[in-house]
Amino acid sequence: MEDAELKNIWLHYDRKMDEARLLNLQSWALNLQCFHSLQTQKAKSRLDSLLRFKIRAVFLGIGWVLFLGLLLYGNHLRNLYFTVSIGMIMLISVVAILCYIRQIRQIRRIDYSENIVDTQERLSALQLSTVAIARFSWLQLPFYATWFWDKRWIDYGSLNFWLLLFPITLFFFLLAIFLYRNISVKNMNRRWVRALLMAGPEYKSLLQAKKFVAEIEEFKKDVTVDNGQLTVDSGR
Amino acid sequence: MRTQQVRDNFLKLILDNKGIIIKICNSYCANKNYREDLAQEIIFNLWKSGDHYDPNQRFSTWMYRVALNVAISFYRKEKTLVPSVSLTGEHHEVEDETADEAAENITLLQKFIFELNELDRALMILFLEEKSYAEMADIVGISETNVGTKISRIKKKIKQNFADLNK
Repeated sequence: MEDAELKNIWLHYDRKMDEARLLNLQSWALNLQCFHSLQTQKAKSRLDSLLRFKIRAVFLGIGWVLFLGLLLYGNHLRNLYFTVSIGMIMLISVVAILCYIRQIRQIRRIDYSENIVDTQERLSALQLSTVAIARFSWLQLPFYATWFWDKRWIDYGSLNFWLLLFPITLFFFLLAIFLYRNISVKNMNRRWVRALLMAGPEYKSLLQAKKFVAEIEEFKKDVTVDNGQLTVDSGR
Repeated sequence: MRTQQVRDNFLKLILDNKGIIIKICNSYCANKNYREDLAQEIIFNLWKSGDHYDPNQRFSTWMYRVALNVAISFYRKEKTLVPSVSLTGEHHEVEDETADEAAENITLLQKFIFELNELDRALMILFLEEKSYAEMADIVGISETNVGTKISRIKKKIKQNFADLNK
């Protein structure tokens, strides 16, 4: 089969489409009302759903940080453990919020009229970044077991503290490290990872994104065969 | 706000190039129920990206970029939403009652294109649309040499598929 034959089949396709009037695009597009539906479509746009999720997360995060700020303010820095613990939880939350705000700006800047490889790379990276923020957020876990510590428990060697509270805090600390190291897209086939990320069926799209990033990397490589010698370079 | 004149011009451009949109929808969306959604999403994004259109650039280059980017994103989303659809089934809407040889070839070509990965599929569509390697490289974002190598590999694969059927 020659190239011309392939192109000829494609040409037939054009003709067939004219006959079949697939998707009824013509009548749909001719209707000026479509601009109204285009605007409402905006709300349903795939990209906007990602945007809405992140905007919601930012608002929730800001509310949470304000609440923590009020707690700190009410404590007047009286308890060092309370101040440091709440301060650390606040700090991690603020970093997560800033990451989300940065991503919102990146999503808004996504321009589908840029080349396919760059746009798809950016979109996949944005999808995957949600997991990075989630795993980072788990680092605040140990501080939920330290905010109510009392200096006197340590000074006077409280048994309850050393036998119960301290081991629990240590466990939380080790758990946070474990989660930080193990929560990843690669491990999303594990049910507990999905549960901690609160990922519903959409976790499959994260797996797809990860796979697609690898495909794009492969696609960008130039593979040429010169005199039987296989050459691979970056291809950009 | 864009004027009525701008809207009318946009509609005209869409209608003049509707074949591109339909072929891309058919090549990336296996489920006909989602195909109209994809067409609308492409048109919506063309309208939204209109401000980024540089008149010095070819309209078709810009349109292919937007349409293929939307289709690839939509396709990956769709794959997670619906079970995979049999390629011998509803995917091929072009076929009509008179299943002549040409129609059968179109169906087969569509099937073979659909079996390619998303990025190779974009290249093959552009090749069949008779785009130059330079324009393909510009749309896809890889070097011309890379386009040439990949196109020749994809063509070989598709031709082999046709040859296997004739055996």
